[in-house]
Amino acid sequence: MKNVGKNWVWFVVIMAVILGLGIYLGQSRRNELGKSFDYSLDEYRKVDPALIKYRELEPILPTLGKLSALALSADDRIFVGGENGIEVFPGGEKVPMVGTPSCLRVAEDGTVFAGMQNHVAVFSKDWKKTVWDAPAENAYLTSIDVDDWYVYVADAGSRRIWRYKKEGGEPFEIGEKDWANGVRGFNIPSPLFDLAINRFDGSFWAVNPGYHAFENFRPDGMPLSTWEASSMGIEGFSGCCNPSHFALLADGGFVTAEKGLPRVKIHNADGSFRCVVAAPDQFDDDAEGLDVAVGSDGKIVVLDSSRNQVRIFEEIK
Amino acid sequence: MSEMGNRGRRNFVRGAAAALIGGTVLAAARSRSPKLVWQIDPEKCTRCGRCATHCVLAPSAVKCFHSYSICGYCDLCGGYLRPDAKGRNTGAENQLCPTAAITRTYIEAPYYQYKIDEDLCIGCGICVEGCDVFGNGSMYLQVKHDLCVNCNQCAISNACPSDAFKRVPASDGYLLKSDQEKRISS
Repeated sequence: MKNVGKNWVWFVVIMAVILGLGIYLGQSRRNELGKSFDYSLDEYRKVDPALIKYRELEPILPTLGKLSALALSADDRIFVGGENGIEVFPGGEKVPMVGTPSCLRVAEDGTVFAGMQNHVAVFSKDWKKTVWDAPAENAYLTSIDVDDWYVYVADAGSRRIWRYKKEGGEPFEIGEKDWANGVRGFNIPSPLFDLAINRFDGSFWAVNPGYHAFENFRPDGMPLSTWEASSMGIEGFSGCCNPSHFALLADGGFVTAEKGLPRVKIHNADGSFRCVVAAPDQFDDDAEGLDVAVGSDGKIVVLDSSRNQVRIFEEIK
Repeated sequence: MSEMGNRGRRNFVRGAAAALIGGTVLAAARSRSPKLVWQIDPEKCTRCGRCATHCVLAPSAVKCFHSYSICGYCDLCGGYLRPDAKGRNTGAENQLCPTAAITRTYIEAPYYQYKIDEDLCIGCGICVEGCDVFGNGSMYLQVKHDLCVNCNQCAISNACPSDAFKRVPASDGYLLKSDQEKRISS
C-alpha cells in the first residue's frame, strides 16, 4: 500500500517534469521575433508642433464614395471626383458619370477636365461631355492642369505628359528620355504623377517621384530647372513614390502631400522646407492619395480618401 | 462455449468487413476530393511576424514572394532599406531584412532589381511591411509547398490574427498577386 502511494508520487513528478519540458520547448520555439524585426515609423510620425503653421477647419463630407480627385475653380468652388460622379461644393451639386475620375481640373472659364484612366472627359459649363483619348495603350492619367493655351495631362502608365491644345486634338508628347537636352525621363514606380502650371511664366512643374524631384519644363518639354529632396525627415520626401501630389502657392511655394508617411508640407520656391500643414498623426495610417489644392485665399484643401472627407487647413496668423 | 466462440468469430468477421468497406469508401471519396494545402491570402495578411515563429519547421515554410511585374525597381526601396538608412547601398546597416535575404542588383539608372534568397528568408514579413507602406506591395508572403509539411491543423493558421491562412486546392496552391505571375505559374 505504501509502495502504491510512492509510485503515484513518482508518476505525478515525472508527468510534471514532462509537461514542464514540453511547455518550455513549445514556448522557446514560439519566441517573439527580436527587436531587429520591428518595423516602426513612430519616430518619423512625430513633428515638432512649432513647425505646424496651419490649423484645420471643419471638413466637407461628400456623399460620393471612393473619393479620388480634387480641384478648385477660379471662384474657389470645390470639385470632388469619386465613384461614378463629381460633386461640387458649396451646394453639393452632383454630376453622375460612368467610372471614377483619377484627376480633375477646372479651367477659368468653368470647363471641367476629368482624367478617366485612358481618356480625358471634358465637360462644358452645362456638363456637356466630349472625350479626348490618350494616345498611349497603357495610359493611366493621374493629373491635369490647364492655362489659357494648353491642357497638360500626366500619364503615369506611359511616363509621359501629353500637351493638348485647348480644343483637343492630337497631343504633343513630353518626357521621353533625351540626355542631350537634359531630359532624364520620368521614373514613376506607382500611379502617382502630378503636375501643375506656373501661372507667372506658363512653364509647368512635374513631380519625378522616383527621384523625389520636382522638374520645371517649358511648354515644349525642354527642362528649365529641378530640385529634389530625399529624406525620411520632415525636410524631404520618403519612400519610392513621393511626393504623391502637390499644388503651387501664389508665391511660388509648393504644397506637397506624401504617402507612406502621410503628411502635407510646404516647400519654398527653391525647394527648401518652409513648414508643415498637417502632420502624419492627423491622418489615418493607411491614408494615401492625398490630393491637394490651394484656394485664392491661401487655404489648403486636402482630399482624404481614407476618411472620405475634404479637409481644409487655414494658416495660423 | 462453442456457441459463444461462433458468435465471437461472427462479430469479428462483421467488424472487419465493416472496416474494410468503410475504408474503401473513405479512400474512394478522398481520391475524388482535391488535395488541399495551406496558403496565405496576401490581401488579408497583416505582416504580424507569426509566420516566422509559429511554423513547425525552422526556418518557416513561409517565404517572401516578389512580384516583378508589380515592383517599381526603385532605388529607394521601402522593402530593402531601413527607414533610417544612412545610404542607398547594400551596406548591412542600411538593409531592412535582419537575415539579409534580399539582394539588390543595379540594372540601369535609376532601376534596381530585388531578389529574395529563400534559404535566408524566415518569413518574418518585415520587408512586406516596408514595401506595402512606401512601395507598390510587390513583396508578400506565401507558403512554399516544396517546404510545407501540410499539417492537418497548421500552427500558423491557429496563430494568424487576420484569418489570412486558408486551405486552397493543391493544383492552384499559390495566391499570387499579379496576373502575369499566375500565367507563368500555370
